[in-house]
Amino acid sequence: MHFDWVLIERTVAAVGSVIVFVVAAVALKNDWKTPGIENQVFKIMLALLAIGGIVAFLAGIDVLGRFAGAA
Amino acid sequence: MAVITVPDGHAHDDGPDQLYVETRELRLQGFLLFLVSDVVLFCSFIFAYLYLRNSGQGWPPAGISRLDVAFAAFNSMVLFGSGCTMHYALENWKHNNFNKYVACMVATIILGVTFLGGQGYEYTTLMLKDHVTWSGSGIFGASFFTLTGMHGFHVAVGVIYLSIILLQSIHGTYTKDKYFGLTAGTLYWHFVDVIWVVLFSIFYLI
Repeated sequence: MHFDWVLIERTVAAVGSVIVFVVAAVALKNDWKTPGIENQVFKIMLALLAIGGIVAFLAGIDVLGRFAGAA
Repeated sequence: MAVITVPDGHAHDDGPDQLYVETRELRLQGFLLFLVSDVVLFCSFIFAYLYLRNSGQGWPPAGISRLDVAFAAFNSMVLFGSGCTMHYALENWKHNNFNKYVACMVATIILGVTFLGGQGYEYTTLMLKDHVTWSGSGIFGASFFTLTGMHGFHVAVGVIYLSIILLQSIHGTYTKDKYFGLTAGTLYWHFVDVIWVVLFSIFYLI
């Protein structure tokens, strides 16, 4: 049986990154009004994690990285 | 337990709990300073990489094929997913859901190890199949292996750190009110996630 590993990797990356984005966005929304230094840092980290989810999704569906490193 | 008198004349309990409250902010600031120093370290290497990349004749150099974006996206998703489970581990600890906390911590550690395994697979493929090495492939190999290796080292340290925190919490080291180690572990793990967002973008996507 032949598996298209690239397709599998891209599909898992795209689906997983949507989940990551949703989870990070929901966590950010829930923590939005929490005070304290560590919670402010957590909010920045969660926002960047959500951005990471978007980036991984775009890479997964082959929108980003198509021309990167073309020799 | 020592009791001291503060200037307003009231007796003041100086026990371990009070000591924890008084030193927590200092330890938090110290840990954040450590993270800032790590950000500076990574920024130095990242800007050196970008400078070298843009001063060359094309990227990657002739003879080196492009990096595997699909696998890197999959591996990135694994690491970002571990960031989510780590966040919910801390949330479950705060809300006294010990079983869910343990499940989230174990998931985080497994995902971290999976990411390291993926990075090992990628390194092996690059070295054996594409013959890209740290010292023998010019600026490309040196910068790629140095930056991703440094990040991988941080992930490995994080996996060990989280494993110790998990064992400590099972053995009752932390309580509902005193869990700074867990907070620091969560901050650290988010930090390695965020650094990977940058490294993934600059090495695989641009």
